[in-house]
Amino acid sequence: MKKLWFPIFIFFLTMPVPLFADDFLGAPLIPGGQTIQKTKSRLEMKSPLSHDEIVVFYRQALKEYKDIKFRDWKDSTYIEDDGKLRWHSITISKQDKDETYIVIVKDNWTWIIGTLVLRFIGVFVVLLFLMVGMYISGIIISRSVKKLEAKKS
Amino acid sequence: MTVNEIMDMLYGIFHTTGVFNFQWKLVVMWGIGSLFMYLAIVKKYEPLLLLPIGFGIFIVNFPLVPLMGYSHGHAQLLQIFYHYGLEWEVIPCIIFLGLGAMTDFGPLIANPKTLLVGAGAQLGVFITFTGTVLAGFTLKEAASVGIIGGADGPTTVYLTQHLAPQLLGPNALAAYSYMAMVPLIQPPIMRLMTSQKERKIRMRQLRPVSKQEKILFPLVTAAIIALLVPSVIPLMGMFMLGNLMKESGVVERLTETSQGALMNIVTIFLGISVGATMHADKFLSWKPLFIFGLGLADFAVCTVGGILTVKVMNLFLKEKINPLIGSAGVSAVPMAARVSQIQGLKYDKTNHLLMHAMGPNLAGVIGSAAAAGMFIAMFD
Repeated sequence: MKKLWFPIFIFFLTMPVPLFADDFLGAPLIPGGQTIQKTKSRLEMKSPLSHDEIVVFYRQALKEYKDIKFRDWKDSTYIEDDGKLRWHSITISKQDKDETYIVIVKDNWTWIIGTLVLRFIGVFVVLLFLMVGMYISGIIISRSVKKLEAKKS
Repeated sequence: MTVNEIMDMLYGIFHTTGVFNFQWKLVVMWGIGSLFMYLAIVKKYEPLLLLPIGFGIFIVNFPLVPLMGYSHGHAQLLQIFYHYGLEWEVIPCIIFLGLGAMTDFGPLIANPKTLLVGAGAQLGVFITFTGTVLAGFTLKEAASVGIIGGADGPTTVYLTQHLAPQLLGPNALAAYSYMAMVPLIQPPIMRLMTSQKERKIRMRQLRPVSKQEKILFPLVTAAIIALLVPSVIPLMGMFMLGNLMKESGVVERLTETSQGALMNIVTIFLGISVGATMHADKFLSWKPLFIFGLGLADFAVCTVGGILTVKVMNLFLKEKINPLIGSAGVSAVPMAARVSQIQGLKYDKTNHLLMHAMGPNLAGVIGSAAAAGMFIAMFD
């Protein structure tokens, strides 16, 4: 089955981007992919192509967009748009051998607000660690200084 | 030689002058450049930066001047400064080295809990991010505009150059202008956010800090920042190196150079390079105006964030902190701390808050760098 899909995949890959007929919120869809679930803000698909082939497809299809980045994670490849596209991310699973799962998510405020809140908390965490580090180093140093003074006296 | 030939020659010469290539937009930019030079020279607002920035804006906005482009494949003068200083992200890091060599972290080491105020004062950075995205900026641009509220010039320049270099001019200008206007912007917010009773809170004198603690501080800070926000270690690493040089006391010549000559040299290059990025073709749009407007709101929310953090901390602390020092969490060292001191003295003539306010002030530098690191990690 995979062998059949491969020439079709190559055919689509060599086509210019605007010719990809199917898209979800402007994100190109992998040819031959089967929709599992579709809502207004999320699309789940599976494809008989391998993870690497799908990544190659998206690299080719999205090469014109400068605000797109590909993150290579342990379980998946995560494609994220930091620009103004209508979709936010495309996740391509790595684990399944026969089928690869693709999830496309709409650009949304939940993500933006969520990441901002977490990063604001992150600033607190960094400075909290520093505060703890300073308390600990302060205690160690004041004790050692006291010991040294005691020895001298 | 015929009259026509002479006319052709004159016409050719005329073509090579700036007069022939004149545009009205350039006059607007001369006005903007002159305004910043006026603020620097007459009003003494951040003159070390606003003067070279203003002159940079002025001088690049003449037609045909060979300053910010390429001639026969070779970069022109200001293009070279810009390329090696800002595009390579060298200048902000060297400025941090100098700042580290000038800074005494004693007040922060003596009262480490003020670090949290520096974190709380980053509130505006994140709120402004949202507002900027709503206005149609990209996420990277929004992050670079948001950091203005941190009131840390080198961090703003560093992050903007990293994420949205096209906004370098307006962002740097907004950051340095508002830093200079701290004494105007913060006091009304401080009065609004605090009661008479809170403004009179007296804080216990800070404990003396040993030399060993001061030497250990840059090492601990560099290690924690490197572990938690590695993306910002070029800035913080240099900051801590400068401070280690100062506190160790064994490299006085290096310390003197870092806080003196080297700092002055890179400040000239920073100012003129930032100004030179602001050519009329790029600058005259709605975006810089919007950045200036939002930058002010950003600064105000950061001030609110610092004061609110102190108020929340006071709910749990036995020894209360005077919330007037919360506003110093916006960095802008030492201007914001001085504002806290002046405001404190207005309500109690013997209540000196300067040294207490230096803690959050220095924490603000680390906090804004941490926030910048969070944004870089988000997009890299």
